[in-house]
Amino acid sequence: MNTNSNVYTIIYTTVIVVVVAAVLAFVSTSLKPMQNANIKAETLSQMMTAAGLGSKEDFSKMGNDGVLGTYSENIEQAFTVNLAGERTGELKTAKDEIELIDNLKPQNKAILAAGEPQLPVYKFKSGVTVVPVYGAGLWGPIWGYIALEEDLKTIAGAYFDHDSETPGLGAKIKDEPSFKAQFEGKVFNLENPSNPFDIVKGGAPEGAMDKIDAISGATMTCNGLNQAIDIWIGAYANYFSKAAAAQAETTEEE
Amino acid sequence: MANLKETILNPILKGNPITVLVLGICSSLAVTVQLKGACVMALSVIAVTGLSSLVVSLLRNTIPNRVRIIVQLVVVAMMVILVDQILKAFAYDVDKQLSVYIGLIITNCIVMGRIEAFALGNKPIPSLLDGLANGFGYGLILVIVAFFRELLGSGTIFGLQVLPAGYVPNNLVILPPFALILLGCIIWVHRACDKDLQEK
Repeated sequence: MNTNSNVYTIIYTTVIVVVVAAVLAFVSTSLKPMQNANIKAETLSQMMTAAGLGSKEDFSKMGNDGVLGTYSENIEQAFTVNLAGERTGELKTAKDEIELIDNLKPQNKAILAAGEPQLPVYKFKSGVTVVPVYGAGLWGPIWGYIALEEDLKTIAGAYFDHDSETPGLGAKIKDEPSFKAQFEGKVFNLENPSNPFDIVKGGAPEGAMDKIDAISGATMTCNGLNQAIDIWIGAYANYFSKAAAAQAETTEEE
Repeated sequence: MANLKETILNPILKGNPITVLVLGICSSLAVTVQLKGACVMALSVIAVTGLSSLVVSLLRNTIPNRVRIIVQLVVVAMMVILVDQILKAFAYDVDKQLSVYIGLIITNCIVMGRIEAFALGNKPIPSLLDGLANGFGYGLILVIVAFFRELLGSGTIFGLQVLPAGYVPNNLVILPPFALILLGCIIWVHRACDKDLQEK
């Protein structure tokens, strides 16, 4: 057979591509449940790292099962709120059926603009509340989890992760402990929901409670993170104010 | 049999892809900060070079000459995606640590180089062995470099502390240039030991 004829070449490449596609589709479908379980455990461990329940290393030693267990032991309640700050639904927290809302990553601004997003709120027994932030870095998506004290504006801890930021520069949002440590004790300015927090280039003024220093050489990543925090904390601002007011009332009554 | 032995030993010693052919330098700088990552990367490359050489060798008499590079690429890409998917399912942490470098095995010159030079003209079994041996030759250097970088850069081996707690980790070792320096030293030692590699 003439393996160099046009017809042969076209048929050959078509068959090869179809066969390869079929193999990949099959493998991808059959491994999907395990990959999703890994991603879920990863998400939970990032949230719990932000909430101060352990370090990333502790959780990766635990394995998926341990992470799910720790989460369901430590979570008080998880629910969703809308932009007006009203509760819209519950998320299951029992170990075997943990529910997370983590499909917001690619949508970000769009989901907030499109009306009624379901914003997840994770309230831990230690009193901290964890909320996610999603945004765009220089090369790809960045996201993080911010843990708030009971007053719902003081930051108790934060964890950030990224898809493909430059190692040594933008990747420091994840790798540099001192960057994350800067967040602790800072306070969101919820009276200005469009800009509750700033990551400042060239050094934050001393004593500014809603500002921290940016990372040198990672301007785009820091801008992206700043925007992510502004958009998402802004979206939660109504809930935070309402919940903090409600909490203040119950404390007074007692 | 002597020929098969040669096929296996040559890529590891005299024809080592990294130290002699100077292929695959990029990833050997990038994934050698820790031994665990280097080992997984080595195993991934061994799997990809071995299996794609085998598949291309099986197909060698049917591949149209004009599109052979594209067919090879499709096969290599399939293997790389398979490896990536499997790592994501079974070794998620390591996959995250290696990030883009698993995907970049596609562009590793060793894979395409061995397919073009060997698998297209040889029977499946020798091709498989040649692929595996080349992957192994690459992995061996990767592990040697990673051993020194993790030891001196973090004071650990496989994440376990081996140097005394007072040891101050050397930050230069963590950065890619040191991998190049180390690689230079390995090439030096390799050439000093093997007279055949020295230029007249």
